[in-house]
Amino acid sequence: MDFIHKVKAAVLRELRLMRQRPIYLLASVGVMAFCTVFFLTFLKDGMPDELPIGVVDNDNSSLSRNFIRQLDATQLGSTVRFGSYRQAREALQTGKINAFCVIPEGMYEDVLSGGQPVMTLYVNSLYFVGGALAYKDLLTMANLSSGAVQREVLRAKGMNDEAIMGQIQPVVIDAHQIGNVTTDYGVYLTNVLLPGILEMIIILVTVYALGSELKYGTSRHMLEKAGGSMSAAMIGKLIPYTALFTVIGIICDIVLYDWAGFPMAGSIWNMFAGTFVMVLACEAVAFFIIGTLPILRLAISISALYSVLAFSLAGFTFPVEAMPPFIQGLAAAFPLRHYYLMYVQEAIFASGFSGWYPQIIYMLLFLFLPALTYKRLHKAYRLQNFPRK
Amino acid sequence: MKNRTYTGQWLSDWYSTFVRELRHIFSDSGVMVIFFLAGLAYPVLYGLIYMNGTVDDMPIAVVDRSGSSESRQFTRDLDATRELHVAYSCADMPQAEDLLQKRKVKGIVMIPEEYGDRLAEMRQATVSTYADMSSFLYYKNLTMGANQVMLKEMREIQSERFSAAGYTPEQVSRLIQPIRYEENMPYNRTFSYSIFFLSAVLLIVIQQTMFYGVSMLTGTMREENRSFAVLPDRFRGRGISRTVLGRGAAYWLIYMAIGTYVAAIVPRLFGLPQNCSFGSIFVLLLFYVSACVVFSFTFSSIIRRRETVFVLFLFMSPVCLFLTGFSWPVSSFPTFWKLFSYIFPSTFASQAFINMNTAGASLSMAAPQIVALTIQIAVYYLLSCIAVFVENHMLKSRTAQARQSISSGI
Repeated sequence: MDFIHKVKAAVLRELRLMRQRPIYLLASVGVMAFCTVFFLTFLKDGMPDELPIGVVDNDNSSLSRNFIRQLDATQLGSTVRFGSYRQAREALQTGKINAFCVIPEGMYEDVLSGGQPVMTLYVNSLYFVGGALAYKDLLTMANLSSGAVQREVLRAKGMNDEAIMGQIQPVVIDAHQIGNVTTDYGVYLTNVLLPGILEMIIILVTVYALGSELKYGTSRHMLEKAGGSMSAAMIGKLIPYTALFTVIGIICDIVLYDWAGFPMAGSIWNMFAGTFVMVLACEAVAFFIIGTLPILRLAISISALYSVLAFSLAGFTFPVEAMPPFIQGLAAAFPLRHYYLMYVQEAIFASGFSGWYPQIIYMLLFLFLPALTYKRLHKAYRLQNFPRK
Repeated sequence: MKNRTYTGQWLSDWYSTFVRELRHIFSDSGVMVIFFLAGLAYPVLYGLIYMNGTVDDMPIAVVDRSGSSESRQFTRDLDATRELHVAYSCADMPQAEDLLQKRKVKGIVMIPEEYGDRLAEMRQATVSTYADMSSFLYYKNLTMGANQVMLKEMREIQSERFSAAGYTPEQVSRLIQPIRYEENMPYNRTFSYSIFFLSAVLLIVIQQTMFYGVSMLTGTMREENRSFAVLPDRFRGRGISRTVLGRGAAYWLIYMAIGTYVAAIVPRLFGLPQNCSFGSIFVLLLFYVSACVVFSFTFSSIIRRRETVFVLFLFMSPVCLFLTGFSWPVSSFPTFWKLFSYIFPSTFASQAFINMNTAGASLSMAAPQIVALTIQIAVYYLLSCIAVFVENHMLKSRTAQARQSISSGI
């Protein structure tokens, strides 16, 4: 009973601090709100459309004009005409267009005479999304126009339309995208970026909250309030943040999977559980950092370096298995990596507890980290023997 | 005579501010961590993480329900692509789905029962692909690999049929490909992730680390009751440009060195394409680093305490990265965010760097970005001077007030 009173006193003290210093709410609620609005509106189209694709029409025949019209009619592309290869190349090099094609002079005549003219496609693959999509669009149209010529020949031979299709495109690919039917880029990125931002917030705010007691020399007051009990002080200090981060995380899940309607094959309740465990794991990492380096200025710099890396090492953009082996091991040191794997199991494959329980265990393993630096931090709080500035 | 004294005084004030700032920077371990550890190690770390660049031989499962010679050919061709590796042959879909869910494979190709028959009857046959969308690279690999094989199969089937109908090889070729095409991906042939990501992130590191470091120092000065805006008394509030330029020169010097390392040496270390001269990169850095200095001065003036910059603004790093348009294309930016992106020097500098260093654009082709950076330099220089003026004014009135209250107290 006594212990609970101590914890309660620590919680009340922390709540007062949070009221007095707006930074805690600004850095958590404010930042999360901004990022949610940013990523949801920035990527709201899901799939880029009307990408500028250049065309250099040296032929200017009915065939080439038809090709350009067809390319323009695709949802993905919108054509930009260039007078010469040079102009188009400069536009490609400066990123104004992601791809262009050169229609050779006399293409139509060559097709009629069977000269097999060559159309040249140039792609700027430095811009991944735009480049890949523009490339795909151009490639499809180039193949279709070959098919169209073939169709005319076969039609003249008196073939019926079904047989023609069986000839000009004998094999069709029927593509399915599991977990993201519409290949929505926003769904793919936001689902992991926002938890990544949350991870960043948790680590920074927790390190700041724990470390500012040292910096402002208030740590003895904190221990005193909690009746001299370090565990009561720490539990009391972290309860308000845990509640705050969990609520933010759950609201974020609700915004993504319910309000924005992002695909969720499994249950949103399981995502709540995963989010909660990630909050705990990130707090444990923060505790470890400030315990190892009980100097706020250094601890916060290290936390910043660490939490930015999580975006790359979660492996949702470039897969972890394609990274060098020593980096693969490093990826396991980030709660976001495990959260991402859990999200894949639940939101994409709906595999339930049996699919993601290892990830929950890994995240819970982070909870052993504070034990390693608990004594050190306690000593620092008591003695205030580390440089504050 | 008087004029010379003014210039001499100006220079000596400038120099003392410059030296004082350098001393602040080098005696602050937190700032050193950000400038040197982050500025020097991050580019290398990113280079290592994305060293391989592409995901080759991605494991997939094939469900061959047809069992015909055509379907077996299709499977072999899939395996032969650079992108895909047929790791499992499954008897049915549930088995393949199980492998996908256990993440043993990243995609499934299903060839239906009637595949061979339909081809024999000269009707259109369908092959189904199922991509794991947890990463777009999986999807890209499966789509590109399967499409490649589909096109190859298409041409072979067509040429077989035309040959069987008695056409000569030349006629067959003409019929199959009346228009041929040639693909050129001059700047990133293999769609390498490392070229794509590093080209964009390198210059972001410069701006972000500088902003965080400058803000940490500004916060520290405020905490210690010495504002960044304190002007020596003899300036009588008129030495703003000396202070801003003197402090700026310190960061500028450090960052021209870090910038040269980041933009010219790191690309070399990781075999990134370098399609423009060092001179052009250096010119870009001159503008970019200057813009970053005044940008950092302007926005750091709102930082009150040392550590708060990370807690409040670290999230801007990924946001700035997206605002360069390296991933989601600029042509699809919502208008508001496009305008918002103009705030950051990194938006223009990254674009110029990608175009010049990797795509081989000349410096003159980067003129629009250089102009934008110049405008930013002018605007942010003015703003950072105003910040110093306002801060100095506030400090003065505060001390005057304090004095007054002390004297009235007496």
